[in-house]
Amino acid sequence: MANLEVPRELREEAKAHDMYLHPIDKDTYELFFGPQHMATENFSIILKMDGNRVEKAIVNPGFLHRGFEKLAEQRPYFTNIALLLRICVPESDVPENIYSMAVDEIVGWEVPERAIWIRTVVLEMARLSAWMFWIMGFGNEIGLYTAGQWAAAYRERFMRLYEELTGGRVYHIYTVPGGVRRDIPGDKWLRQLRDTVEYLKGKLKDFDEILFDNYIMFERTEGVGVMDKKFALKHAVTGPNLRAVGVPYDVRKDDPYYLYDQLDFEVPVLKEGDSLARVLVRRYEMEQDLYILEQLLDMGPPSGPYMVQDARLKALPRFKPPAGEAYAHVESTKGDFGAFVVSDGTHKPYRVHVRGPSQSHGVTVLEELLKGARLADVPVILKTLDNCPPDIDR
Amino acid sequence: MDMNEKPKVEEKVQEEATVEEKPTLPDTKEGKLVKALLEKAPYAEGEVIRERRIKFIVPADRIHEFLELASEKFEMLMQISVVDWLKEGQFEVNYQLWSVSESVHAFVKTRVPRDEAKLPTVMDIWPVAETYEREAHEFFGIIFEGNPRLGPFILEPREYEKHPLRKDFNMLSYVKEIYGEDFDRYDESKTNYVI
Repeated sequence: MANLEVPRELREEAKAHDMYLHPIDKDTYELFFGPQHMATENFSIILKMDGNRVEKAIVNPGFLHRGFEKLAEQRPYFTNIALLLRICVPESDVPENIYSMAVDEIVGWEVPERAIWIRTVVLEMARLSAWMFWIMGFGNEIGLYTAGQWAAAYRERFMRLYEELTGGRVYHIYTVPGGVRRDIPGDKWLRQLRDTVEYLKGKLKDFDEILFDNYIMFERTEGVGVMDKKFALKHAVTGPNLRAVGVPYDVRKDDPYYLYDQLDFEVPVLKEGDSLARVLVRRYEMEQDLYILEQLLDMGPPSGPYMVQDARLKALPRFKPPAGEAYAHVESTKGDFGAFVVSDGTHKPYRVHVRGPSQSHGVTVLEELLKGARLADVPVILKTLDNCPPDIDR
Repeated sequence: MDMNEKPKVEEKVQEEATVEEKPTLPDTKEGKLVKALLEKAPYAEGEVIRERRIKFIVPADRIHEFLELASEKFEMLMQISVVDWLKEGQFEVNYQLWSVSESVHAFVKTRVPRDEAKLPTVMDIWPVAETYEREAHEFFGIIFEGNPRLGPFILEPREYEKHPLRKDFNMLSYVKEIYGEDFDRYDESKTNYVI
């Protein structure tokens, strides 16, 4: 290592930016983790390592920045749906819904009951397929590949249901301001959804045996990346990560939207705040989501129109809501996902700001939790926080 | 639907605009929250938007003081959104707070001039503000005094100090400047361009 020659100017410049281009001393070195690494999903962390331990971590986002907020200001209201849903790929229905809810509030539309029911079902389906996607990533991280492959296969069932409902598998462009784009295909689709729910309920036991009740998972996650209640609140951590430190905050209970105040479900809370608690909270939530979908199917879709009846919808590109602003948020698998929409009375939104849950737990929290972790724990912490890089970059 | 029929929503909005009544705080948990905060901070204006949504307007020089008071009830800072009001020459900075104990979302709005946009950092109240302030600084050029990490965050170094989310930043001409001949789809004579 001693022969590693770096030009003096380059070394000084790097040093001015708080980086070192060569081993700092015998044991300390700098490691660029991602964005090409599988575990990081287009995300990069610069780690300062001391042997096997992380001494300092610097989050380095920006690899997924596509300027959605600027683009949204240059498009008519309804066109923006096809743009904003690309923010979060595993559950693309969430950005659609928050944006539509905010526009509904600005216009003052009362969304028909049937559309509300369909939107609730779609959001719960999105949550379940996002859990499957998460198991896929997390299972791979700790070496339990079988669970990941099963989850990918079960997610396919939801993809098929989505394809029949909306025409798209991953990106649906289905929820629009005022309702949904088209009606549910019929009773056969509802039967298929119920079959899928029943099937997954059985398969959850298999997941327990292979992943959630597995010795390897406990060994890898217990006591890793611990945060406490005060730290989590000050850093605006939301979703399962917050519930794993003992705060029972769930948007579906605390700021009810759609049909959630009529549904009966529990908010699982654990106190430990380590990676294991975060994993187990997600496991319990999966069960609750299946239970919610079952209740919704028992309720059945109310009759009536699936889109609000308004003459302005005949000329969509020139559709103008009144001036105003609204903030809407929903509970996604990553946490509290929100959209702030400002209208100045023209046919394009004046400003759209999306609150990605990973923006709070993916930057400062991640940097704090990685301090002192082993190198092998880095992907585990990243995955149990459920960091979704496009939330940060947008 | 009958095309000649006037939409109901428009009428409602017009009615609300004509009636100017003095805002009174309702006797709900939202109204009580606003009242309690305004008693401690008489320089601010507050109102209840609807159930679980409240709003405050605070002068920029007292924003830190106000947010410190608000942080007793509002445990989480959900995000800092900036709106660029170009015609008025001002940035509107929205601090969006959430109270876990009360289940209320609060907007705290303040305005700063566009050419000299400076605000104190709120990292000492909510450490997560560091990330939001870095974003607001990069995209709008607002300086948060006391935040040590204001610098390149998401954008590439060549885009730094350009502040792309400002309303006077023309994205298309910037792209043309960077990519030149390769970007031949853009025709400057066209107005109302949709890519």
